[in-house]
Amino acid sequence: MPAYGELFEPTESESSAVAVSEMAVASPERGHGGVAILLTIAAVVAAIVGARVSMVSSAASDSWQSALRAEVKRSAGAMDDVRYLYQTELPVAIRILEARLVQGELQAAAATTTGLAGEALQVEADVQAGIASGLISSSDLAAKPDYALPSGGFDLGKRLADLRAQNPALMALDPDGLEAAGDKLAHKAELLTLALFPTSIGAFLGVLAQPFKRRRGLLLAAGSAALAAGALMALGVEALA
Amino acid sequence: MIAPDAAAELRAERRFDLIAAILIGLIALLAAVLAATQIYASEAATRANMRAARLADDLSARISVSSQALDSAVGAQEVALALGMESASRQLTGIQHGDDATVAVGAAQERAFDKLRKALAATSDTTGNAPVDAYTRGLLEASTADLQKELAEQNRQVDLANEAGSREQRAVLGLSFLALAGVLTGLGAVLRESRAGWIALVAACAIAGGAGALAALTLL
Repeated sequence: MPAYGELFEPTESESSAVAVSEMAVASPERGHGGVAILLTIAAVVAAIVGARVSMVSSAASDSWQSALRAEVKRSAGAMDDVRYLYQTELPVAIRILEARLVQGELQAAAATTTGLAGEALQVEADVQAGIASGLISSSDLAAKPDYALPSGGFDLGKRLADLRAQNPALMALDPDGLEAAGDKLAHKAELLTLALFPTSIGAFLGVLAQPFKRRRGLLLAAGSAALAAGALMALGVEALA
Repeated sequence: MIAPDAAAELRAERRFDLIAAILIGLIALLAAVLAATQIYASEAATRANMRAARLADDLSARISVSSQALDSAVGAQEVALALGMESASRQLTGIQHGDDATVAVGAAQERAFDKLRKALAATSDTTGNAPVDAYTRGLLEASTADLQKELAEQNRQVDLANEAGSREQRAVLGLSFLALAGVLTGLGAVLRESRAGWIALVAACAIAGGAGALAALTLL
C-alpha cells in the first residue's frame, strides 16, 4: 500500500497492473516536502494579506464614521448659529429698527407741528426711543454699526459669518475630506483582496500536486509562481496605493 | 505476485484522495472569492450607510435652516405690514373723531412703514451673502428642488446599503458553508475510503457546491 496521501495520476486507460507496478517503483516521499512548504507559505501569505485587508478596511470604515460624525457636528453648529441669528437676534433687531424709524418720523413731525398734536407726536416719539434704547443692549446686530446697511437694514451675511467664525474648529471640519480618505483606503483594501486570488490558486495547484504525482514538479512550480504573484501584488499595492 | 484486488483497492483509494485534494483546492479558491466579495459588499454597505446618514443629516439641516431664513423674511414683512395697518387705523380713527394728533401720529407711522418695509427687504436680501461660508450658504439657500433631489439620492443610498448588506450576508453564509465543507473533508481524510469517509466527502462536496452557488449569487 502507498503511504498515506501518496497517489498516482488517474488514467482510465491505465491498467491495474501498471498502476500497481508504478506504485511499487515510485518513491512515496518524493515531492511531499515541496507540497507541504507551498501550502504552508500559501496559508501564511493568505493570512497576512487577509489581516492587512481587514486592517485597511477597518481604517476605511473608521474614516467614513468620522465623516458622519463631522457632518453631524458641522450641521449642528451651523443650525445653532442660524437659529441664534434668525430667531433670537433678528426679531429684536427688527423691533429696534421699527422703533427707531417710527421715532424718527414722529420726531420730524413733532418739530413742524404745534399744539396738542405736536405734544402727542413728541410723547409717541419718546415712547419709541425708550423701546429702542431698552432693547439695544440685547442685540449686537442692531447695536454694531458694522452690520448696518445704507438702507437702514442689517447685513445678515456679515453677522452670520462673524457668528460662525467664533467657532473656528467647527468651521474647519471637513467631512468630505474624511469621506474621500475612507474611499481611498477602501480602494486599497479592495486591491489587496485581489492578491488572495493568485495565492489561493497557488494553494489549489499545491493541493493538486499531491495526487497528480507525475506532474507534481510542474504543479508545484506553477503554484509557486502563482503564490509569488500574489505576494508581489500585495507588496505592490502596499507600496503604491 | 500482486493480489488481483490490490489494483481495485488502489484505484478506490486514489479516487478518494483525488476528490479530497480537488475539493480542498476548490475550497481554497472559493474562500478567496467569497472573502473578496464579502469585503467588497461590506465596504459598499458601510459606505452607503454612511452616505445615507450624512445625506439625512444634511437634509435635516437644510430644511431647518432654509425654513428659518424663509420664515424670518416672511415674519419681517409681517412686522412691516402690521405697522402699515396700525398707521392706517390711526389715521382713519383720527379723521373719524377729528383728532389731529392721532392723524399726525398715523401719518408718521405710515412714512416709517415705507422705510421699514424697504429696510427689511434689504435685510432679507443679505441672507447667505458673502462673507458667509459656502456650506452655510448652501443650507440657507436650499430650494425645494434641491431638497427633493437630495432626498432621492438619500433613498438610493439606503437601497444600496440594503442590497450590499444582503450580498455580504450571502458571502458570510458561503464562508460558513466552506468552513463546514473543510471540516467534513478533514473528517473524510481521517476516515479514509470507508463508507463513513465517502459520506463525509460527498457531504463536503454538496456543501462546497452550496458555497459556490452562494458565491455566484453574491457576484451577480
